[in-house]
Amino acid sequence: MKKRFSPDQLALLVLLTVLCVLPFTVTGYVLYVVNLLMVFVVLALGMHVVIGEAGQFALSHTAFYGIGIYTAGLINTSWHPPFVVSILAGGLLSAVLGYVIGFLALRMRDIYLALATFAFGEAMQWVFLNWESATNGSNGMRMQPAQLFGLTLTNDLQAYPFVVAIAALMLWVTVWLSRSQFGSALRAVRESDVAAMAMGINARAMKQAAFVISAAFAGIAGGMYTLFISFIHPESLGFQTTILILTMVVVGGIGSVRGAVAGAIAFGIISELLRQALSIQEILYGAILLGFMMFKPRGLFAGSKKRAAKAPAAHAQQGGTA
Amino acid sequence: MSLDEIWLFLQQGLLSGLVTGSVYALLAIAIVAVFKTTDVPNFAQGEMLMMAGYVALSLLLLAHLPYVAVIPLTVAVMAAGGALFQRVVMERVTGSRGVGVQLVIATLGLAYVLKGLVRQTGLGDTPRSLPSLFSSDTVMIGDAALTQLDIAIFAVAVVVMVLIYLMFTYTRIGKAMRAVGMNPRAAQIVGVRLSRIRMMVWALAGLISAIAALLITPKVLVTPDIAHIAILAYAAAIVGGFTSLPGAVVGGLLIGVVENMVGLFISTNAIVVAPFLAILVTLIVRPQGLLGGKVQVKKV
Repeated sequence: MKKRFSPDQLALLVLLTVLCVLPFTVTGYVLYVVNLLMVFVVLALGMHVVIGEAGQFALSHTAFYGIGIYTAGLINTSWHPPFVVSILAGGLLSAVLGYVIGFLALRMRDIYLALATFAFGEAMQWVFLNWESATNGSNGMRMQPAQLFGLTLTNDLQAYPFVVAIAALMLWVTVWLSRSQFGSALRAVRESDVAAMAMGINARAMKQAAFVISAAFAGIAGGMYTLFISFIHPESLGFQTTILILTMVVVGGIGSVRGAVAGAIAFGIISELLRQALSIQEILYGAILLGFMMFKPRGLFAGSKKRAAKAPAAHAQQGGTA
Repeated sequence: MSLDEIWLFLQQGLLSGLVTGSVYALLAIAIVAVFKTTDVPNFAQGEMLMMAGYVALSLLLLAHLPYVAVIPLTVAVMAAGGALFQRVVMERVTGSRGVGVQLVIATLGLAYVLKGLVRQTGLGDTPRSLPSLFSSDTVMIGDAALTQLDIAIFAVAVVVMVLIYLMFTYTRIGKAMRAVGMNPRAAQIVGVRLSRIRMMVWALAGLISAIAALLITPKVLVTPDIAHIAILAYAAAIVGGFTSLPGAVVGGLLIGVVENMVGLFISTNAIVVAPFLAILVTLIVRPQGLLGGKVQVKKV
């Protein structure tokens, strides 16, 4: 086991060194992009928990991200608390809403979570656009900068250490969750919820928990966003952002934490480069999703563990078209 | 709002709702048929509808073909496209041990490719609608005003649904599709070729998308955004129970009526959330849907 983790530790070390050196060497724009990448990392980790660990399909990540942004932004604007409070508030609100949606959607077929969350995502974007008194609707909302005990974060450089620290914290939480007994239970549910239930795992509660945690991650990512950006427009909180995060997780490797992180960084950069070319982005993401599902369905960083035991079952389920 | 007004709105909402609802019902049938036989909710259904709209539009406006040629060509192109996608992509994903999540992601990939392609060609820049074959003269039914086009849409949709029903009930291929929906393994044992049936189902989904697009696009503008109509179709499928074809029809009509009532009584702005509310209410009150029946537990 020890040996397998050493490349990871190496990668982490390189990443940390780069992150420490960066603020002294680059200009504001690069720092802005790195801050944004950190937000993407947290978003991807959140989606990893629900899709990668629990095998459930949720398409409302952007909605919770948006809830996090608006909640933290509004709290910062009206009360100026330490930003930790506003970020936690966004995460908590997302988690509560996630609990309600998950509770309703997980009573039926697994696939209902995908459909209900898809509809929820669309509905939330509508709410952001039309709840003018809170969000200023389609004009976008200006937010006061975040504060921490008298220090006001007004630029990317000031926000940078906090953004990186939160991303690191969330990464640690994800790894810790994944290695805990809870993580094992989630993966048991992913492989077969009937078998998991036979071993005394409450499958529905596990799926629900995974979805709530994922929603909280997205809400916290929204709070991180308010640390270095002071303007939000509902246009950027549509389904395309969910697809972007999904692409990160899928290409990185469903079920792999390092895959989610690597995917977030790679696709965060690609999306920033292609910001102006929406149609090319769409074709590219679509083609990448199709290509990976066809030829490398478990992504780039899929664990090498054999799933021999799963093979016959999947084969039977699909009617053996292989 | 006076009582007369409410009565008028009720009639208008019901009839207009049945017209748009019949198109949602068609799309919901496509979604449910694909889900039953291949176990995947087709998240590209909306984009298939949009694609069909653009195929018809480019045949009409760029190739200057007459309608008589455009209709069968659009249907053929979409059916072939659907079959091809199942054969080339989905079969491959299933083959590389793809289960639920992977298959869904593949349909999302298709959705994005289609949307991007349409945007890239620039066809989507100027919203256009198909010229209508029917006049927009009003026809009064009770106090409600419909256009001749509305009545044609409803009539064609009903005819198509009857044809689909006959296909599922009396033809070999329809029976084979139902058999695969009930139990793919058993169907295979009695000699049904799974991959062929799944191709046919995707072709059916393409065909239905083409018909739905031809029906709705004289009424709404063809833009990349008409894919949103599929959200209403998903809502219809969920309300109907997601595995029931009659349920999809009932759900579609219901969603159409609810949508129109919301538009008339609350605000046109609130129409967008109507499908979400329908899904939510279904999940709270009757999660198995109107005609969904019990959910079977899959064998390990």
